[in-house]
Amino acid sequence: MLDILLPILIFAALAVAAVGAWRRSRLWRQGRHARVDLLKGLASMPRRYLVDLHHVVERDKVISHTHVATAGGFVAAALLMILVHGLGLAEGVLGWLLLLASASMFVGSLFVARRRRDPPARLSRGPWMRLPKSLMAFSVSIFVITLPSVGLLPEGVLTGAFGTLFALILAVLVTWGLAEMLVGMGWGGPMKHAFAGALHLAFHRRPERFSTRHGGEGRSTALKALDLNDPDTTLGVEKPSDFTWNQLLGFDACVQCGRCEAVCPAFAAGQPLNPKKLIQDMVVGLAGGSDAHYTGSPYPDRPVGEHHGTPHGPIVAREGKALVDAETLWSCTTCRACVEECPMMIEHVDAIVDMRRFLTLEHGQTPGKGAEVLDNLIATDNPGGFDPGARMHWAADLELPLMSRRGQAEVLLWLGDGAYDMRNQRTLRALVKIMRAAGVDFAVLGDEERDSGDVARRLGDEATFQSLARRNIATLDQYRFARIVTCDPHSFHVLGNEYGELGGHYRVSHHSTFIGELHDAGRLAFRPWKGGRVTYHDPCYLGRYNGEFEAPRHVLRALGIEVAEMQRSGFRSRCCGGGGGAPITDIPGKQRIPDMRMGDVQETQADLVAVGCPQCTVMLEGVVDSTADVRDIAELVAEALTDQTDQTAATAGESAQPEASLAREVA
Amino acid sequence: MQPETATTPALEATVLVSVGRHPVTGRARRADQDARGVELAKSLPNARVGLLYAGHLGSDNESALRGYLGMGFETLSLLEQPEGADVLPALAEALEASSPQLVITGERAEQGEGSGLLPFLLAERLGWPLVTSLAAVESVENGQATLLQALPRGQRRRLKVRLPALLTVDASAPAPRQSAYGPSRRGRLDTRAAEASEDTAWAEWQVQPARKRPKRLKIVKATSARDRFKAAAAKAEGGGGQVLSDVTPEEGAEAIFKLLREEDVLR
Amino acid sequence: MSEVQRRDPRREWIARNRLHPQHSEVMAELGRGAASEWMGPHGVLRRNPHAVGFTGPNGVKRIDRSGAQQGVTGGGASAAAAQQKPRVEISDPAFSVVVVPDMAGGRLSGHDRDLLGLARRLADADDQAPGAVLAVVFGAHKESGFEEAGIDRLLHLESSDVTGYAPEARLSALGMIDMAWSPRHWLLPDSKLGGGELGRRLAARLGERPVAGVWQVEADPGQATGWRCITRGAAESLDIQRELPRIALALAECAEPVSDIRHAATPVALPEPLPATLSRIEDLGQVPVDPAGVALSEAEFILSAGNGVRDWDGFHHTAEVLGATEGASRVAVDDGYMARDRQVGATGTWVTARVYIAVGISGAIQHLQGIQTCEKVIAINMDPGCDMFKRADLAVVGDSTRILQALVARVQQSREEQRDAA
Repeated sequence: MLDILLPILIFAALAVAAVGAWRRSRLWRQGRHARVDLLKGLASMPRRYLVDLHHVVERDKVISHTHVATAGGFVAAALLMILVHGLGLAEGVLGWLLLLASASMFVGSLFVARRRRDPPARLSRGPWMRLPKSLMAFSVSIFVITLPSVGLLPEGVLTGAFGTLFALILAVLVTWGLAEMLVGMGWGGPMKHAFAGALHLAFHRRPERFSTRHGGEGRSTALKALDLNDPDTTLGVEKPSDFTWNQLLGFDACVQCGRCEAVCPAFAAGQPLNPKKLIQDMVVGLAGGSDAHYTGSPYPDRPVGEHHGTPHGPIVAREGKALVDAETLWSCTTCRACVEECPMMIEHVDAIVDMRRFLTLEHGQTPGKGAEVLDNLIATDNPGGFDPGARMHWAADLELPLMSRRGQAEVLLWLGDGAYDMRNQRTLRALVKIMRAAGVDFAVLGDEERDSGDVARRLGDEATFQSLARRNIATLDQYRFARIVTCDPHSFHVLGNEYGELGGHYRVSHHSTFIGELHDAGRLAFRPWKGGRVTYHDPCYLGRYNGEFEAPRHVLRALGIEVAEMQRSGFRSRCCGGGGGAPITDIPGKQRIPDMRMGDVQETQADLVAVGCPQCTVMLEGVVDSTADVRDIAELVAEALTDQTDQTAATAGESAQPEASLAREVA
Repeated sequence: MQPETATTPALEATVLVSVGRHPVTGRARRADQDARGVELAKSLPNARVGLLYAGHLGSDNESALRGYLGMGFETLSLLEQPEGADVLPALAEALEASSPQLVITGERAEQGEGSGLLPFLLAERLGWPLVTSLAAVESVENGQATLLQALPRGQRRRLKVRLPALLTVDASAPAPRQSAYGPSRRGRLDTRAAEASEDTAWAEWQVQPARKRPKRLKIVKATSARDRFKAAAAKAEGGGGQVLSDVTPEEGAEAIFKLLREEDVLR
Repeated sequence: MSEVQRRDPRREWIARNRLHPQHSEVMAELGRGAASEWMGPHGVLRRNPHAVGFTGPNGVKRIDRSGAQQGVTGGGASAAAAQQKPRVEISDPAFSVVVVPDMAGGRLSGHDRDLLGLARRLADADDQAPGAVLAVVFGAHKESGFEEAGIDRLLHLESSDVTGYAPEARLSALGMIDMAWSPRHWLLPDSKLGGGELGRRLAARLGERPVAGVWQVEADPGQATGWRCITRGAAESLDIQRELPRIALALAECAEPVSDIRHAATPVALPEPLPATLSRIEDLGQVPVDPAGVALSEAEFILSAGNGVRDWDGFHHTAEVLGATEGASRVAVDDGYMARDRQVGATGTWVTARVYIAVGISGAIQHLQGIQTCEKVIAINMDPGCDMFKRADLAVVGDSTRILQALVARVQQSREEQRDAA
């Protein structure tokens, strides 16, 4: 009986799954056009899955092994099942392989079941809770059905009254398994992630993120430019269908594992953002409906079930509620912790900025001080609204060489808007002292410098970003320099990664990298560190955005500091709360992100936290009653400079001599 | 109440806008007070708001004017005038022709003479009442508008004015909404030719960037040499105030109370 | 006795000449005896150094320059000096200069006095043909110093239709004045207190192009009016130099106020009563504004709370009793004790209060930036080393809760006393 039933069941399931898959793909194709190399994508998909995705999943060893066993077992079992039971090719090794595959899948499903017994809060429940049972149903039934095929059980075991009943039970189990595992892929069960995920990897909007066979770890963090001159399209994303089709596909690939939620600083601070919920809301919008069926943790303080949307309806309502509240989008600090953690490599930050672009460019609804900051950027080229002619006032006594006079220099020192901030001016002074001590041939743009456009872009004002960027590029094009050095990771990221699309290609280094190189070249000598315990806070835009985790630590080591690492450091570093315009939009939460970060610092019992970003400095120093001082790496280095460095620099070149002595005076 | 308001015809309001000038960089922008006027008009219930600009249209001016469109308008009526022209006749004619019930404008222009006279001349010419320093429009009914006028230091006065009327706003009106790039780019500048009249007096004046006004010297009307010497030798003001430590709360409170009394802020 | 001072040059000469045999006599006659100081005829204080000091125990003359000795004769002399400010009367003016002061709070403001000083300059330019300064005052007032402010003629209008906010009725009154006196100059304060508005209305009504924002006036024979002025244009970014027209709206500090002389301030009246005008603007009166609701940037008296405040109910109660607008530091806002729109500082609101009380605010640089323009800053803090104390005009070290309680008690006590007295 099963001989007849099984092929019918399998092919029926495949057919229904195919219909479901086609329907699902129609949902994705509601999105805007995106240029994707389909064939190349499909061809590189296995590698992307096996290497890049696995690299992320492997951060949790147990889950990684569970997934390998279950998913690997399932894929093999499903293919073999079609051959063995669908086409009746049970002879020889195939049947044995099928047994092995389903057994592996069963073992895996046991681990899945264990995980689901008392799941952590970040995991979604609902249909996901039945997944281990479905996995078992599929693996067990396929295993048992295959036993007779390989001759481990007599063929006749499934005949007779008892046998028929057993066969019926098996058929039911197989049906359940097929329904969940195959049909569910296209029709929106938990297994949707396998189907959508595979295609998402193939058609990912940032193919550069994936490693290539030629080596080199992929990193693609630059926001994509918006075409401002297309008069027919709305700017940014108003409706789910305004996303590109592969973005929609990416949302659909979400497995609701909640790793993003666990690392999101805004979620932890009680601000109304949960990256997982946001992606699920996009999935709701993509298919139409309400978020009432969502079974994970909600946005803090926002009950589930009040929001609803359609593919062609607005995501954020001008008034009242739609799919997502504006506060949710404005809570994000663009720290990319969620993107870094996402095993499906979904691009949360891109989506959030796309939606912010619409709110800012079309509605003019940048909250908090956003509108004021953007107006300032337009009118004065800096977010504070300060006189552009006062940009160099802090350095009146330093006589910094100006590019406009020099025309060329080895290093262009990009000061950033910290030049207006009294706290960051200390860092800049320290950096200038270091440059002079090492006898570096450098110059600054002075009053010609403008804001890099980082804040404008993260606040969604692509127009202002592009205007600032184009003017900065025009200025930079006038001069000759080997590289740009900056102590602001935001400028570093924007200049290095985001100006390229607009025609500005530069070699940009963070000051910690540069100081490290100077030290390695023997141009800087340090006194041994005598202070207390030191920890280091990785700025998001230096670390996660640009992969520079080592250089600052290298410099600290060179200073003789043994870094007492925080639990969350390196690529898992927790944001200071200062990125993405979050301090400007200022969405209230239960606690402040910098307070939590200083809590992390306190856990290491450090007396001092070294940072490499003016924004982090301001945010962390703003914490009341903190136990640790906040110092930029440049300040630590400048303090540790020995006189010997000054002398070497002084003798190194005659031109450097007055500068070095001046630096001493400044110090 | 409900059906009544539903049947009332929409309130025709025109906002006169101008090209502003950023106080720090001098770049053209939407003028702050005019933008506040637009905001005020936009927040009027059941109002049809039009924008009117009379003046020269240059590339700088255009981006500034588009700033108003970015507040949510599809068109802006533009009366083309040569640079430095007296825009009063053109505006008056246009307003006489369109006859709105409310005309709202900023108190003073941020460019040119900026004497703040235009609304007064316009009101005189149109024969309309004029209310200055508008903070809010509370209601409009039966051809009369109830307004809140801003007085210094956050005080408010309620006025009732017969329509049509001209209202000017200053910095105490609600802050203007953000100008969005999309609508500002798509909006239309509806240019109309208008007769220009030259401002001849302006050409005769000497205009230069403002210099810092000399700080008034504290002239000591000392009648004796001793007083004059004392005044000359007196330490410059500032340089730290009085610090009371080791005082009881009552003594501290008394000192504060005395200062508040002196400053006359207690009512 | 006649008010007119008659001078006797001979006697004055004898009084000046200490060696003259009749010197003591004349001095005694003048009532000055051995006075060390007296007011000279030109309003300059004269001093007789020989009359100063006393003879010490050793028979040597001693002069005490600490000032302690001055009170002996000084008191009477200076009181007399105030009365003895020379009084000027212009009985037959060649022209008139009309000033319409704001009279904020029923008194001449500093701005008004500056304007009157300017009016005096315009009126007194020609010794031979001095003009008269006519001040127009609307509504009830509490001012008693019109004479010292340099007003020759005072037109006080207090009929009910020009009191309150009545720009139209006031305008018609000014129109009548223009007809009756044909003033050579109209001067109004370019202020938010009514003068700026009234002046512009007047210009529009008279059809004359006025000048606004005048901050300097100089004689210039080249101009038709004989005067040129510098005004601020284009949102304070331009200086425009031009002829001074008949109607001028001047900024504060446009001239020095009158100080040394008195004028007659003779009351005058309109030649005919004001016609009844139908006002299209009806004044419904001032709206009571809750100080707590006043925008921070506009508030004149702010009580601001920081991290050091423990008793929040007490803080709010204090603000209510003092009638102060509440402000807060960033920390107090972040901790959720105060709303975000109450945040003072570079990242919040830049405030312009006259009096700013910082309670438990240590004074982060961003906060100090935000209160730069405040006139008087009072700080209450436990930590005497905090940065706010460096900025404060009055700083009290101590527990803010108890100091605020004491302050509330003190204010209530004084109100109690006032009520009893009334």
